[in-house]
Amino acid sequence: MDVLVQGVLDAVRLLASGDEDTWSITALTLRISLTATAIALLLGVPAGAGLALGRFRGRRIMLAAANTGMGLPPVVVGLFVTVLLWRSGPLGELGLLYTPTAMVIAQAGIATPVVAALTAAALQQVDPDFVVQMRALGATRPRALAALLAEARLPLLAAGMAGFGAVVSEVGAAQMVGGNIEGQTRVLTTAAVLATSRGEFSLAIAFGILLLAIAFAVNLAVTIVQQRQTVRR
Amino acid sequence: MTAVSIGCRDLVVSTGDRVLLDVASLEVSAGTTLAVLGPNGAGKSTLLRALAHLGGMSRTGDVLLDGQPATASQLRAASAAVFQRPVLQRASALDNAAAGLRLRGTARREARRRARPWLRALGVGHLADQPARTLSGGEAQRVAIARALAVEPRVLLLDEPFTGLDATSRADLIADLRTVLHRLGAAVLLVTHDREEARALADRTALLVAGRLRQVGGTAHVLDAPADADCASLLGYTTRLAPDLTGCGELLVARPERCQLLDPAASLPPNTIAVGGTVRRTVPLGGTTRVDVDTAAEPVAVLTTAEVTALPGQAVRVAVDLEHVRRIPAAVLSSSGAPPSRNAAADPMD
Repeated sequence: MDVLVQGVLDAVRLLASGDEDTWSITALTLRISLTATAIALLLGVPAGAGLALGRFRGRRIMLAAANTGMGLPPVVVGLFVTVLLWRSGPLGELGLLYTPTAMVIAQAGIATPVVAALTAAALQQVDPDFVVQMRALGATRPRALAALLAEARLPLLAAGMAGFGAVVSEVGAAQMVGGNIEGQTRVLTTAAVLATSRGEFSLAIAFGILLLAIAFAVNLAVTIVQQRQTVRR
Repeated sequence: MTAVSIGCRDLVVSTGDRVLLDVASLEVSAGTTLAVLGPNGAGKSTLLRALAHLGGMSRTGDVLLDGQPATASQLRAASAAVFQRPVLQRASALDNAAAGLRLRGTARREARRRARPWLRALGVGHLADQPARTLSGGEAQRVAIARALAVEPRVLLLDEPFTGLDATSRADLIADLRTVLHRLGAAVLLVTHDREEARALADRTALLVAGRLRQVGGTAHVLDAPADADCASLLGYTTRLAPDLTGCGELLVARPERCQLLDPAASLPPNTIAVGGTVRRTVPLGGTTRVDVDTAAEPVAVLTTAEVTALPGQAVRVAVDLEHVRRIPAAVLSSSGAPPSRNAAADPMD
């Protein structure tokens, strides 16, 4: 227990001292995870909308695949992206392995099914006659779809939060495709793993606290927006 | 704003190889209301959705605006629809009423300004700032109607908008809507299974059975003179006196509430027709009593407010004043499936 208390105290001291390395790791974590979430939203929302509203063969199988994808092990995604980007792999020429870009790709791969599945669920919760009613009021198809997305904005925000939560906290893919290179691809999760393995518990706890703080801050911001909408309706 | 009539020509809607709707021709003029009356599953909503080019049904034939074939975008611009269930957005009543205008590209402030009077006209002006989700069913439907009217459509399509409302809110809403429709001057198509709604709102009424128009004409005339057996039961003439029983060459139909039970020994009042039978059962309905009587042909029903003393098994006569009897000519007796002719029977008022 003493180790833990001492670790937390040291961690707080470390964070208060404003260690430059720690802050650059934090900034990189935010940059990679937010970019990956943004890409996941760009891909996942239209995909989820297609799954929710489309009438095509294989829709249910794809929906089931997206739902399975919510529980996709990051290590599997990391492995897949590593093989793709490996020097002799299909995309090896791009030289992206062990760069932040590779980490963004892997994390977008983790978050996209999450966003797509939750988007599909969110849109399916809206009244099935919603789009027809909007069309019957004179809306063009794109306008009717925009109205549908606006109607489902609260669960869509939740989908975004879930996507961000999935990537900011994962370590498997970040480690595999990023390589945890100091000053280049080290993020909070991989840094925490390294510190723990070296027995530097205070440092690891400090990274853990930062990670929690980031997740909390981002979710708090979105929740405030979401709840303001709920009150207003 | 120019007035526009809506109609269709050779409109056929089908799913797979099943024909849901087959209407050779129909027209609703500007400033008038046509009620399409039909039983459940007759294709009423299908007709309304086909006229608005809504829904992914397979459709052939033309929808006409002012007699000219119209494209989907022309129809969308001209029309607005209200459905059985008010599908409202997660927003205030006012923003919902303004939604139709917003969807057509009107700026928010302007849309709200134009929508407000319609909320007031429908008696829900005081709820403008309430979230739509807190409204009662009747209030929500009023908002949905205000939303359709706010775009000042030249064609208004109403798909059973009063279903699901309690009797009082329904009567109030029908009265309010009648006033508003008068002011709007649009061509209105009201789909309903309730003939009282047709009577209250529609200048003309069309009867739709099994996807085909059986009868079109002035509401008062159509509701009083069914053209065939299906139309008769749709209009409440459900007591059928078969030719075998009456000796007439035609099927006679009457409303059960116009029939009375007579003792077999009693003398028949003048201008009355009667058939004999035995009481099968009596069902008290609170205020009225329904008596089912087995006859040599099919059973007939009598709905009476008088005290019923006849017991099951007892011989009685079912009598109807000739004034309340409608005659269905033998030529149109075919009561199910397609009518003899594809064109609806037209009445002299057309």
